[in-house]
Amino acid sequence: MKDRIAQLEDYIMKHCLWQFHSRTWDRERQNEGVLGAATKILCDEPVANETREDRCYWVDAVCLAEAFENRYPWLHEMDTAEKKLLMQGLKERIDYTTITASLNKELTDHKY
Amino acid sequence: MSCELKNKDRVGVINPIFTCQPAGAQFASIGIKDTIGLVHGGQGCVMFVRLLISQHFKESFEIASSSVHEDGAVFGALNRVEEGVDVLLMRYPDVKIIPIISTCSTEIIGDDIDGVVIKLNEGLLKEKYPDREVHLIPIHTPSFVGSMISGYDVAVKDFVSYFAKKDQPNRKINLFTGWVNPGDVTALKHLLAEMQIDATVLFEIESFDSPVMPDGNHVSHGNTTIEDLTGTANAFGSIVLNRYEGGKAAKFLEKKFDIPALIGPTPIGIRNTDTFLQNLKTMTGKPIPESLVRERGLAIDALTDLSHMFFADKRVAIYGNPDLVIGLAEFCLDLEMKPVLLLLGDDNPGYKEDPRIKALQEKVDYDMQIIMNADFWDLENRIKNEGLELDLILGHSKGRFISIDYDIPMLRVGFPTYDRAGMHRYPVVGYAGAIWLAEQMANTLFADMEHKKNKEWLLNVW
Amino acid sequence: MPHHEFECSTTIPERKKHAVIKGAGEDLTSALPEGYLNTIPGSISERGCAYCGAKHVIGTPMKDVIHLSHGPVGCTYDTWQTKRYISDNENFQLKYTFATDMKEKNIVFGAEKMLKQNIIEAFKAFPQIKRMTLYQTCASALIGDDIGAVAQEVMEEMPEVDIFVCNSPGFKGPSQSGGHHTINIAWIKDKVGTVEPKITSDYVINYVGEYNIQGDEEIMHDYFKRMGIQVLSTFTGNGSYDDLRAMHGAHLNVLECARSAEYICNELRVRYGIPRLDIDGFGFEPLSDSLRKVGLFFGIEERAQKIIDEETARWKPELEWYKERLKGKKVCLWPGGSKLWHWAHVIHEEMGLDVVSVYTKFGHQQDMEKGIARCEEGTLAIDDPNELESVEAMLRLKPDVIFTGKRPGEVAKKIRVPYLNAHAYHNGPYKGYEGWVRFARDIYNAIYSPIHQLSLLDISKDEIPTDKGFATQMMFSDAALSEEAASASTQRQYTGKYDCVPDYMNKTYPDELKKKPVGAH
Repeated sequence: MKDRIAQLEDYIMKHCLWQFHSRTWDRERQNEGVLGAATKILCDEPVANETREDRCYWVDAVCLAEAFENRYPWLHEMDTAEKKLLMQGLKERIDYTTITASLNKELTDHKY
Repeated sequence: MSCELKNKDRVGVINPIFTCQPAGAQFASIGIKDTIGLVHGGQGCVMFVRLLISQHFKESFEIASSSVHEDGAVFGALNRVEEGVDVLLMRYPDVKIIPIISTCSTEIIGDDIDGVVIKLNEGLLKEKYPDREVHLIPIHTPSFVGSMISGYDVAVKDFVSYFAKKDQPNRKINLFTGWVNPGDVTALKHLLAEMQIDATVLFEIESFDSPVMPDGNHVSHGNTTIEDLTGTANAFGSIVLNRYEGGKAAKFLEKKFDIPALIGPTPIGIRNTDTFLQNLKTMTGKPIPESLVRERGLAIDALTDLSHMFFADKRVAIYGNPDLVIGLAEFCLDLEMKPVLLLLGDDNPGYKEDPRIKALQEKVDYDMQIIMNADFWDLENRIKNEGLELDLILGHSKGRFISIDYDIPMLRVGFPTYDRAGMHRYPVVGYAGAIWLAEQMANTLFADMEHKKNKEWLLNVW
Repeated sequence: MPHHEFECSTTIPERKKHAVIKGAGEDLTSALPEGYLNTIPGSISERGCAYCGAKHVIGTPMKDVIHLSHGPVGCTYDTWQTKRYISDNENFQLKYTFATDMKEKNIVFGAEKMLKQNIIEAFKAFPQIKRMTLYQTCASALIGDDIGAVAQEVMEEMPEVDIFVCNSPGFKGPSQSGGHHTINIAWIKDKVGTVEPKITSDYVINYVGEYNIQGDEEIMHDYFKRMGIQVLSTFTGNGSYDDLRAMHGAHLNVLECARSAEYICNELRVRYGIPRLDIDGFGFEPLSDSLRKVGLFFGIEERAQKIIDEETARWKPELEWYKERLKGKKVCLWPGGSKLWHWAHVIHEEMGLDVVSVYTKFGHQQDMEKGIARCEEGTLAIDDPNELESVEAMLRLKPDVIFTGKRPGEVAKKIRVPYLNAHAYHNGPYKGYEGWVRFARDIYNAIYSPIHQLSLLDISKDEIPTDKGFATQMMFSDAALSEEAASASTQRQYTGKYDCVPDYMNKTYPDELKKKPVGAH
């Protein structure tokens, strides 16, 4: 599992920008929004995409889920519960890297 | 039929011809060996000037910033100078001279750069660098006074007055080149060599045309040394080619050390080069050799091919450094051209007393305007809205869009010239400069004739 | 932390925290340099000032505006004609710059009166221009002129004009980035929402952090327009002042250079609920992903896909030709801010280049996070590099090419490293599919220049090859290729025009694409 999370993390770090908003509260929101939606897409669950905000998470999530499915064939062999666990682990890992263990000193600046 | 001398009649500037004083001081500082200037102000005051100079020369060189940030602007930033000097000395072991060049911001907040130099001399230099020759020279160049031209003049004077020291006569002349190009320095050195004159060429930037070498030599430095500057007090005399770019230093040497100063003319064209050689002869007693008679003859030959056939009555606008503009105008007149508009980009009160400008006012036999404190709108507005017709523009690259938009041929001359290749390699001074300038002007006009199909067939035979 | 200490900087030990080498197993929680801290005086850093960040980088690309700086003439002169941000109104903003030309008496007695005269003069000189941006400089900030009050007074007297005031003196912040921030916030605070948007499509975006370098904006607009999307405003390349006042009318902010313009996107999200979508306009895959996301947002992803397919078919064979020949070449990716992450992975993946170092002149730690995340192991990452460090890095890393600014490019030339201009480009645009091929073409021409090869020969020591009267780039680039690779018929060199931008500008687009199909949500 750890190795698989690392693969997904590597993809996000290399190809995505949504996880690097400038402040802690935005990173929390972004990680939750995009990875939450991506988890639902991977698990064939409906995703809210009616509001502009939800839709913006959703488009990043659609592309992310698609990239994961195309690149990591082992994903197809997982059942929904495993996928949820995987994505939960991934979310924790991304939160850790970009927020809790981040060395970026500007994350806590209270203004943009 | 008159020559009118007047100021720009607007308050502001639309497209400036000059930048501000610290740029001139920086340009002077790169002319001295083992020197890195420390500009005391915001980082842009250095970063952009370095960019400008590197656009012109396409070379690499060093100028540093004290990087004044917000806290410094509020509480004073002399600690940034102290740290900057130390950092430069620690990391650049060859550096001997650090001019501390002030800017608008640090003059306004009242940072005492003279005081900090004393403090550093007594403290840091004695304690940390006791065995090292280091000269810290405060140079005051607030951006709201004068222009890059006066900044150069002030800095040259400050360097000279710092180092000049009376000793045995050195049987040399001081040659203040002013703000010129490597090609000019080469041409001037050639004239001096032909005259067998030993000269100290000051703020000598010939190495700003430098090679790419297999061993990777990567930095251009000026060639003027501390010894050169010290010796300025022991020369036969000083010749200042550009009144506004070195005149102050020569007058200082004259007053303090009785070194006679000959100021001008800028040796652009045959006549002014003749005068320059005569001045050299007067000062040193050395005759003008046959080789220069021949060189002059080559130039006369080249100009004869061009002047009455192609140049006569061509209407020219000229802008840029004042000595350059005046020198070019004088040369154009000898070539039978009509300089109709001269633009001097700052408000130097000396212009009104300049004998060359007075001569133009007295003798010009057609309508000419000389605008002081001018900007490019003084040129463009006359073309666009007031019917000024021009055959040629002479000036630096910042005026390029006037040439492009109004389809007026333009020869790039002066500083900066980043939109034409290699201009800094060629002289505008001396007989060689006269040939180069005239032939470049001619070729510029020829290309324009072809581009506009305006008597382009004329050149079928020539 | 895998810090890297430069030999030339051992005397300024605080520099050690500004360089890291991303080692094996290293990630952002262990490898991130300091960033956006005050510059060390005398270190010969590459940074500019906050005035230039506001006026020169972000303000001036706005095309239909008089850009007036309140201060001595130098700030204006120095930041004039050193960029390549073009516009479709004959480059008014490139050609004309305005300074109040503050003199000593103004410093002593105040310069508000002459500022007002200046504003009126400038509008008089260009009667067709009714908009002005007005920039504070160090001098006018320190003497305390109330620029805003003067602007207000003029606007009351001349109701047809509108003036934007940006108080970003040169000393505000460690670098030009301070100015990016100030102008972003000032624009949203003072100008957004003061003009009602003219909506012409059901799909409306702001294109933010895009400065139209050599026509980047034109090439990207083509894709958006082919999708039926209205670009309500571009912040700020080729952007129009009044369009930018109406930014609040967009459905989505598409953000390119987050370094210089994320602030306004964040504020637009908070104040107007417009979401922020970060994209990459560089590189086939990242660009395709980006277009797809924009398409998905509006439910028109099939239009995006059509463009992706067409453009990829048209340009991929050309990109592949260069990739074949650029594989394994070492690059120092030394731009100002955002390109270090826009380019770090994609020049590796799509051109085969190895990024051996990244640096940022004015970036924050956030930019290094993105850059380090995207580059491969072993890359040397440097924050606020100084000249000696750059030279030391180049001599140590021996790059085949360096992407940086004009002035550091001259340093590279002298130590015989070819350079491409990362800020203004060599022969751009570099965005879009065609632009990306142009970039690859420029890299190829730099690395395989016969003159560059000649610069490596020491005629006093080396054997002089006397068997050739000339060389071509391909004689070098194809020497090591297999015959199969060298003659691959599916690949070709760039076939576009010297200036590709006018063809994009002159295109027309069907209006019906702007309406949502019936039944679409």
